[in-house]
Amino acid sequence: MVTSGVTVAHHSFAMFDKENPIDLEGIVQEFKYVSPHSFILLRVKDQDGATTVWNLEGGAPSILARDGWTSTALKPGDQIILRIAPLQSGAPGGSWSVDKIKFKDGQPIVVGH
Amino acid sequence: MPCRSSFVIIPLLLLPVATIAMAHDASKYPNWQGQWTVIITPGLEGQAVKFDPTKPWGRGQEAPLTAEYQKVHEDSMADQAKGGLGNYPTATCHPGGMPRMMSVGEYEYIIEPETIYILVGGEDHYRRIFTDGRPWPAEIARSYAGYSIGKWIDEHNNGRFNVLEVETRGPFKGPRAYDGTGLPLHFDNESVFKESFFLDKTDPNILHDVITVIDHALTRPWTVDKTYRRNPNLRPDWREFYCVEGNVHTVIGKENYYLSADGFLMPAKKDQAPPDLRYFKRSSK
Repeated sequence: MVTSGVTVAHHSFAMFDKENPIDLEGIVQEFKYVSPHSFILLRVKDQDGATTVWNLEGGAPSILARDGWTSTALKPGDQIILRIAPLQSGAPGGSWSVDKIKFKDGQPIVVGH
Repeated sequence: MPCRSSFVIIPLLLLPVATIAMAHDASKYPNWQGQWTVIITPGLEGQAVKFDPTKPWGRGQEAPLTAEYQKVHEDSMADQAKGGLGNYPTATCHPGGMPRMMSVGEYEYIIEPETIYILVGGEDHYRRIFTDGRPWPAEIARSYAGYSIGKWIDEHNNGRFNVLEVETRGPFKGPRAYDGTGLPLHFDNESVFKESFFLDKTDPNILHDVITVIDHALTRPWTVDKTYRRNPNLRPDWREFYCVEGNVHTVIGKENYYLSADGFLMPAKKDQAPPDLRYFKRSSK
């Protein structure tokens, strides 16, 4: 069976730099629970105080659902921290997985997972 | 009101006939009802979408590629390592076609006496397998799924078919790849697929699809036994899948870009130049 961490994907994830992950903390602007991949639009404050919205690509809804995720797992305004593999290009985008994301207070996004 | 009555009566009159016909047909065919999902050997490197589900994706598939197509594959992975899409048009929501379409999604089999439909989902929609005894057409329209003719076999001579043999021919549309690394099929798109579908002898909730690929990018036919597990929930969720809904990969000219959160182009590769804007008028200051 497909397990967590294995991605059903319609493209290679080589465009993301898995060797140099970065940690982000921010406020959810939108959680797109869509095909072929889910996205978190995350408002992140830079060191100079400016805000950048990151486009963060996650698993397909069919795979997230197996880990207990639903379209309402994240809501606008939620504060989260996550470790991502950033785009190789350096643009504000990256990929995330369910085992490297939680609420800012340390609580899991999906209870029991 | 009279109109409404007649509208209701007609289907009711037809119902007993239809029910009898369906019951008769069902007794001849195996029970493939339900939702089927590919069984993947856990813990292997790479994504779940791959031809041989018992091996890692990419090089780990050990596909018997010719030297020329080994290079196509290596070039694809090298491009992807820089942020490109490689030999994998599915990344921009093109259909995967055969055989990738048998490696993804939640499958449903609709068995009719003359045609079998495999509802696929994902970037692909469905397969149509003709079992009405037709000959191969003189000309076949180019497609991603190919043209499939099937034949039911009753191995036990008990009046019930248990094996479906299918041959699928092109010409196909392409390029096509087995998996996300861009593991290629030949660019001539003249593959032939021979499949044998049957329920597992010891577990009727496992369906086999033994696929043999005959393709000019291979040094010999490549056979894989793909297996699928039936969802024990007989009323499973059937999720919508529209690839364009959340796709962020855009190809302009020969370059691919990534869409930002607000819908603008971002570079997918380090130091990537912006797209060619030759058709946009720019004001000179």
